[in-house]
Amino acid sequence: MEQAPLDPERQLQPAPIEPLGLPDSGLEAAVGEEAEGARDAGSGVDTMTENNFGLKKIEISVSEAEKRTGRNAMNMQETYTAYLIETRSVEHTDGQSVLTDSLWRRYSEFELLRNYLLVYYPHVVVPPLPEKRAEFVWHKLSADNMDPDFVERRRIGLENFLLRIASHPILCRDKIFYLFLTQEGNWKETVNETGFQLKADSRLKALNATFRVKNPDKRFTELKHYSDELQSVISHLLRVRARVADRLYGVYKVHGNYGRVFSEWSAIEKEMGDGLQSAGHHMDVYASSIDDILEDEEHYADQLKEYLFYAEALRAVCRKHELMQYDLEMAAQDLASKKQQCEELATGTVRTFSLKGMTTKLFGQETPEQREARIKVLEEQINEGEQQLKSKNLEGREFVKNAWADIERFKEQKNRDLKEALISYAVMQISMCKKGIQVWTNAKECFSKM
Amino acid sequence: MAGGPPKALPSTGPHSLRDMPHPLAGSSSEEAVGGDSTPSPDLLMGRSFGDKDLILPNGGTPAGTSSPASSSSLLNRLQLDDDIDGETRDLFVTVDDPKKHVCTMETYITYRITTKSTRVEFDLPEYSVRRRYQDFDWLRNKLEESQPTHLIPPLPEKFVVKGVVDRFSEEFVETRRKALDKFLKRITDHPVLSFNEHFNVFLTAKDLNSYKKQGMALLTRVGESVKHVTGGYKLRTRPLEFAAIGDYLDTFALKLGTIDRIAQRIIKEEIEYLVELREYGPVYSTWSALEGELAEPLEGVSGCIGNCSTALEELTDDMTEDFLPVLREYILYSDSMKSVLKKRDQVQAEYEAKLEAVALRKEERPKVPADVEKCQDRMECFNADLKADMERWQNNKRQDFRQLLMGMADKNIQYYEKCLMAWESIIPLLQEKQEAK
Repeated sequence: MEQAPLDPERQLQPAPIEPLGLPDSGLEAAVGEEAEGARDAGSGVDTMTENNFGLKKIEISVSEAEKRTGRNAMNMQETYTAYLIETRSVEHTDGQSVLTDSLWRRYSEFELLRNYLLVYYPHVVVPPLPEKRAEFVWHKLSADNMDPDFVERRRIGLENFLLRIASHPILCRDKIFYLFLTQEGNWKETVNETGFQLKADSRLKALNATFRVKNPDKRFTELKHYSDELQSVISHLLRVRARVADRLYGVYKVHGNYGRVFSEWSAIEKEMGDGLQSAGHHMDVYASSIDDILEDEEHYADQLKEYLFYAEALRAVCRKHELMQYDLEMAAQDLASKKQQCEELATGTVRTFSLKGMTTKLFGQETPEQREARIKVLEEQINEGEQQLKSKNLEGREFVKNAWADIERFKEQKNRDLKEALISYAVMQISMCKKGIQVWTNAKECFSKM
Repeated sequence: MAGGPPKALPSTGPHSLRDMPHPLAGSSSEEAVGGDSTPSPDLLMGRSFGDKDLILPNGGTPAGTSSPASSSSLLNRLQLDDDIDGETRDLFVTVDDPKKHVCTMETYITYRITTKSTRVEFDLPEYSVRRRYQDFDWLRNKLEESQPTHLIPPLPEKFVVKGVVDRFSEEFVETRRKALDKFLKRITDHPVLSFNEHFNVFLTAKDLNSYKKQGMALLTRVGESVKHVTGGYKLRTRPLEFAAIGDYLDTFALKLGTIDRIAQRIIKEEIEYLVELREYGPVYSTWSALEGELAEPLEGVSGCIGNCSTALEELTDDMTEDFLPVLREYILYSDSMKSVLKKRDQVQAEYEAKLEAVALRKEERPKVPADVEKCQDRMECFNADLKADMERWQNNKRQDFRQLLMGMADKNIQYYEKCLMAWESIIPLLQEKQEAK
C-alpha cells in the first residue's frame, strides 16, 4: 500500500494530466438492487479505478441507508442516518467482483473526509457532497431530512461523491480516502491526527474578504467570476424548475376530477354512458402519471445541484491562488522594504521610516558597531526573505500549473456531464409528451364511441 | 295599416309542411309570402300564423289538413325530420363577418347573416342582412312566445362584466359569432321552428326595427292571454316520462356545472404553469452566455421551452374560446328546457282542473265542453311536441358532446405533438460533438 500523503508538500507534486481510466469506459457501480447505469453513465464517472491498493480495479457503492439512534458529543440522544459503503474488487480474468470491505458511515464523516481533502489538495476541484438539507423543494417533496425520498436521493449523491473521488487521478491515491472505505473504527481519530485543521487557511473560509492582489493570474480572476455567475444562474434555474414542477403537478391532478364527474354523468346517459365512463378512466391514468414523471425529473435537478456545488469548489481553488499570490506580494514587499532599510543604513541616508531611525534621531546617533550589527541582522533577514520568496514563487508557479491542469480536467468533465444531463432531460420530456399523446388518443377514441 | 288582399297559397302538388297549420296556430288566414321582394309590414301583420298561438278556433281548420293531435300529423313531422337529416336540405344559414359600429350613443357589433333557401316562404334564393345581438335576443323571445311547446336553443350570455371581458376583443367576438351561428343552425334544423314567421323576417328583413315595433302591440295582448290561460294551476303529479326528463335535466345541468368548474380550474392551472415556463426558458439562455461548449445546447433548450410555452398558450386559448362557451350554452339550454317542462305542467294542470270542475257539476249526461276539449288538445300537442323535441335534443346533444370532447382531446394531442417535435429536434443538437479545440 502506498504511503499516505500526510505532509502538505505532497500537494506540490505534479499531477498527471491524463486521468486514469477514461470516463467513457462504462460504469459498473452497483446501486442498491437496481443499476443506475443510465444516470451514472451520463455523469461520466468511472468506478473502475486503478489505484495503488493492490493494482486491482475496485467498485464502490453506497448500497443502503439505515436510521440509527445514538448519543452525540453532548451525550444527548439523536437520530441519524447511516449509510453502508461496500467496496468490491474485480478480478481481471473473469470480471467477477468480490466484496472486500463493507462499513457504515454517517453524513458528518463524509463531511470530515471532504474537509480533509480540501486542505491537502487545494489545487484540486474537490467533488462536492450532496446537500445537507433539502433545498429547492416543490410542494410535494418533503424538506425533512428523515424523509425516505430525501434519504434515497442522498444515498445516490454520496455514492456519486465517492465515485468522483475514486476516479480522480490525484485524490484516488489518498490514504485517508482508502481508510474511509476500509477502516470503520478509529477513522475519525486518524484523520484528526493528520492535524489538517491546523493547516487549514482560515482565510479561505472567509468568502467575502477581499485581498488586494496586484498581479493575479488573469485566468483565475476570470474563472472566479465565472464560478460566481454559474452559482447564481444554476440557483435561479433550480428555483424556477421547482415552481414549474409544482404547477405541472397541479395541471395533471385536476384532470383526475374529470374521471369522477364523467363516471357520474355516464350513469344518467344511455348511449353516451360507456364512452364517457372509459374516457374518465383515462383521465385518472393521466392524473396519476405525473408522480413518476416528476420523480425522474428530480434526478435532473440533482445533476444540476452537483454542479451548483462544484462551482463553489472551483471558486475555492481560485481563492487559494489569490491568497498565495497575496502572500507572495506581501513577502516581496517586505523584502524590498528591508533591502531599502539596509541600503539606507549603509549609506547613511534615511529615506524610509524605521523605528530605529526615529530613536536614533531622538536619542542620538548609534555607534558604528551598533550600525554594523543592525546591518548584519538585516542582511540575514534579507537572505532568508530571498530564499522564502524564491520558494514561494516556486510554490505559486507549481500551484498555478497543477491547479490549471485540474481545472481543464474539470471543464471537460463538466461539459460532458451537463450535456448528458440535458440529453436525459430532453429524453424525459419526450417520454412525457408521448405518454400525453397516448392518453389523450385513448380518451378521444372513447369519446368517439359516445 | 291598410294592406293588400292576402294572397292565396299556390298549390304546388304535395302539401309542404307549410300547408299544415301549426296545431296551436290560427286558422284559415294562411298567407303566403310571395310576389313582393320584401314583405311589407301589412302583409306580415295580417298573418295569424304564430301570433295567435294558444287561441284555437273551435274546429276551424282549413280543408285538406289533418287534425292537430292525430297520429298522421305526428308521422308527417317525423318524416320531415328524416328528410332534413338526409339529402333534401333546403335552408342554409350562416353567421359571419363581424363589424364594429361606432355611433354617438353607443358602439356595437353587427354580424352578417347569409341565408340560402329554395323554400317557397322565401322570395329570393339568397339573402344577406346584418344583425346585432339584441336582434338575436328579440328573435329568441319571439320564438319562446310563439312556440312555447318547443325547446328553443340558447343564446350566448347577454351580459358581460365590463372591465373583465373586452366586448370588442377578437376572441370574444369570434366566440360569440360561433355561438350565434350555432343558435341559428339549430333553429334551421328544427322542422317547426325553421318555418316560424319571426325567424323568416329575422333572416330577410332589411329593416328589422320597424317590424319589431309593429309586433309590439300584438305581442302584449298575446302575452297577456297566455298568462290568463295558463297561470295559477298547480299540477299534482308529473307523468312519469316527463318526471324522468325533469330529473335527467337536473342531474345533467349539475354535472355540466361541475365539468365547467373543472375545465376552468385546469385552464387556470395551465396559465400559472405557463407563467413559470416563461421565466424558466430564458434562464437557460442566461446560462448559455456564460459557457463555451455548452452554449449551443443550452440555447437550444431555452428555445425549446419557448416553443412549448407557445403551444401551451394556444391550448389554453382554444379551451377558453371553444370549449367553455359550448358547455355554458348547454347549461343555459337545459335551464330553458326546464321552464318549458313547467309550462307543460301548467297546461296539464289547467286541463285537469277544468275536467274536475266539469265532473263536479253533476250533470246527467256530462258533455265535455268545448273549452275542456281545447285544453286537452293543447296538452296533448304540447306533450307530443315536447317529446319529439326531447328526442331531437338528445340526439343533437350526443353529437355536440362527442364533437366537443373529441375536440378537447384533439387540442391536447396537438399540444403534446408540438412539444414532442420541439424536444426531438434538439436531441441531435445536444448530441453534436464539438470540433477539437
